[in-house]
Amino acid sequence: MATAEPPTARNPSLSEKLRDLIFSQEGVLFIIMLISVLFLATRTDKFLTVDNLLQQGRFMTEVGLIAIPMTYIIITGGIDLSVGSILGLTAIVLGWTWQELGFPLPLAIVTGIASGTLAGFVNGLFIVRVGVPPLIMTLATLALYRGLAEGISEAKSARGYPEWFFQLGQGEFLSIPTQLWLLIIAVIVFGIVLARTRLGRALYSIGNNETAARFSGLTVNRYLLFIYSFSGFMSAVAGYIFVSRVSTTRSDMGTGMELDVIAAVVLGGTSIFGGTGSIPGTIIGVVLIQLLKNGLALSGVTSDATIVVIGTVLIFAILVNNFIQHRRGES
Amino acid sequence: MKKTFAITLILALVLALFALPISAQDRWDGADDLDVNPLACGMGDEMMEDDGDDMEEEMEMMEYDGGMAAMGDDMDDMAGMDIVLVDVPKLVGIGYFAATTLGQQQAAEELGNVSVTTDAPTEANIDDQIQVIDSYITAGVDGILFAANDPVAIAPVLRKALESGIHVVGYDANSEPDAREWFVNQAEFNGIAKALVDSLADQMGADASFGIVTSTFTTPNQARWIAEMWAYAGECYPDLEWLETLEAQEDAVLSFQQAQTLLNKYGEDLDGIFAMTSVATPNSADAVQQAGVCEDVAVVGLATPNGMKPYVNDGCVRDVILWNPVDLGYAAVYVMRAVVDGEFQPGDASISAGRLGELVVVNGSEVLLGPPFVFTADNINDFDF
Repeated sequence: MATAEPPTARNPSLSEKLRDLIFSQEGVLFIIMLISVLFLATRTDKFLTVDNLLQQGRFMTEVGLIAIPMTYIIITGGIDLSVGSILGLTAIVLGWTWQELGFPLPLAIVTGIASGTLAGFVNGLFIVRVGVPPLIMTLATLALYRGLAEGISEAKSARGYPEWFFQLGQGEFLSIPTQLWLLIIAVIVFGIVLARTRLGRALYSIGNNETAARFSGLTVNRYLLFIYSFSGFMSAVAGYIFVSRVSTTRSDMGTGMELDVIAAVVLGGTSIFGGTGSIPGTIIGVVLIQLLKNGLALSGVTSDATIVVIGTVLIFAILVNNFIQHRRGES
Repeated sequence: MKKTFAITLILALVLALFALPISAQDRWDGADDLDVNPLACGMGDEMMEDDGDDMEEEMEMMEYDGGMAAMGDDMDDMAGMDIVLVDVPKLVGIGYFAATTLGQQQAAEELGNVSVTTDAPTEANIDDQIQVIDSYITAGVDGILFAANDPVAIAPVLRKALESGIHVVGYDANSEPDAREWFVNQAEFNGIAKALVDSLADQMGADASFGIVTSTFTTPNQARWIAEMWAYAGECYPDLEWLETLEAQEDAVLSFQQAQTLLNKYGEDLDGIFAMTSVATPNSADAVQQAGVCEDVAVVGLATPNGMKPYVNDGCVRDVILWNPVDLGYAAVYVMRAVVDGEFQPGDASISAGRLGELVVVNGSEVLLGPPFVFTADNINDFDF
């Protein structure tokens, strides 16, 4: 391990810092991502172009937005399986209040996002007040919210939105897809919140030892209620973006999305047992999966083979990271 | 007290949301709310052909409503040249789309100057399908054949293809008309609906009670068929009794379970099951066969012959309704070739599609494959897909 870094740097503390950075969870993952990107770029010249990369940014925004609160939740040792269903419910409430109840569209958007947030709040309420394990509670609401979406929509899809509505999902701002700005801002803000604020430190301590956190006087319940509501809110925003991107609402929107989100978060180095994880890691996870999907497709690999490759890369990345972190822990 | 009140309030809200959708709806569950156009009652094949002719006359009035691929300088040069097509069905890994792929390969081989690759998600997911198509636009192909998971959601990415000069032809499941050039229509919805309902009424009587196993309530084709079945049954067999529609998401295990649910729930009252997908039909037949009620419950559905041979050959299922998906894929490639060559233009009334002969244009920008096909014990073994 000691020879991995050439002893050229004059300031040993700087070189140590650099080494820490490179061999951190995020550093290793970032290098894996770079290698993948370079490899894919040699396979096809259509991959590493600005247009294509921005387009991929558009496609990954919804998963990226939901991955932020999912990182918070998994750090506390919890999980939220209902995010895809909340996305679908939000989309349906948005379309239904607008088309069937005749709400003005801006009010319908607010109502949609509010109901998604409420859905997350209900998750949190049962988890902290009734003590239902997060896995069980959100597994139940995964079905419940999807059922609500199907019931409310009565199998109808709302279409025919006005032109301005598509700005967020299909438009551009300063030649970058509009929704990508949202994702970038959210990543920076909530990355700092996790790494530098009391809220962030509280989440880590809840994940490390919830009982100890309670005895240290942390208002654990309030934090948990907040992050599950936050998860509902972000899923709802993602739902709004999704509807704006695909121009229609369907009750099956976001089906299976929870797995994409959790895969990205766990790939990003967040421990499923809680206590560790970071937003930069999560975002590298989201980007890596999206670029692999796209790069392989562009190199002529068919979709069914692509998911096999992605699964293999996931296992490989996690193994390499575990190996390196284990070695670092020993030395 | 406060907390209890808050929880009660939330629960009440959730329950209220649940209660809202239970409003009166006169159509069967799983039907869409578009206009219906039931065919005339009756069993004869001639009748169906007659109606088909009426339809053609009526529809020829409609103007071309498809889109146009952007014309580059090199566009004319594509006539007769080798072209590379990508085929993006709803999903891969099921018999139905394997059959359309087979037909496309047959057409490509006959034509000699077309190559087709099939690529699609392994699950019928609107977003995955959009991303696959987007990748092929970036990678650069001459034409895209598609079967849409959602007619509206797929439209922006198809328009992007047209704008970049890529020709777009749909088959099996349509998009918004202006997002593609032509759509090969495998069978008109009212024709399929009539064939299904006629078959059940013929087998179990005009007062039979039945359930429906569909994919999801929002899947466009299935929703359209159910709406047309509701309309046709209402006109021609008012005594048929609809019991329930269940969703099975084109999933084998779920389809089997949903058919079992119908059998257990309605028992003696159940005379038939309409299975609306190529996955639901064999699995519903399996459920009926395992329950030992082949004589009492008729399964009528849409399916590929290979999956249904065991049930048709041993007499548990009499009729399997479908078109020929091999011909469907075959026709799509012929249409694409003619569009690229400039031989098939907006306003044309028909197109010559190899072994299928002349196919007529309906609904402005759709090419009709023909009347539905009924597979029975007499002919099912002649097919292999």
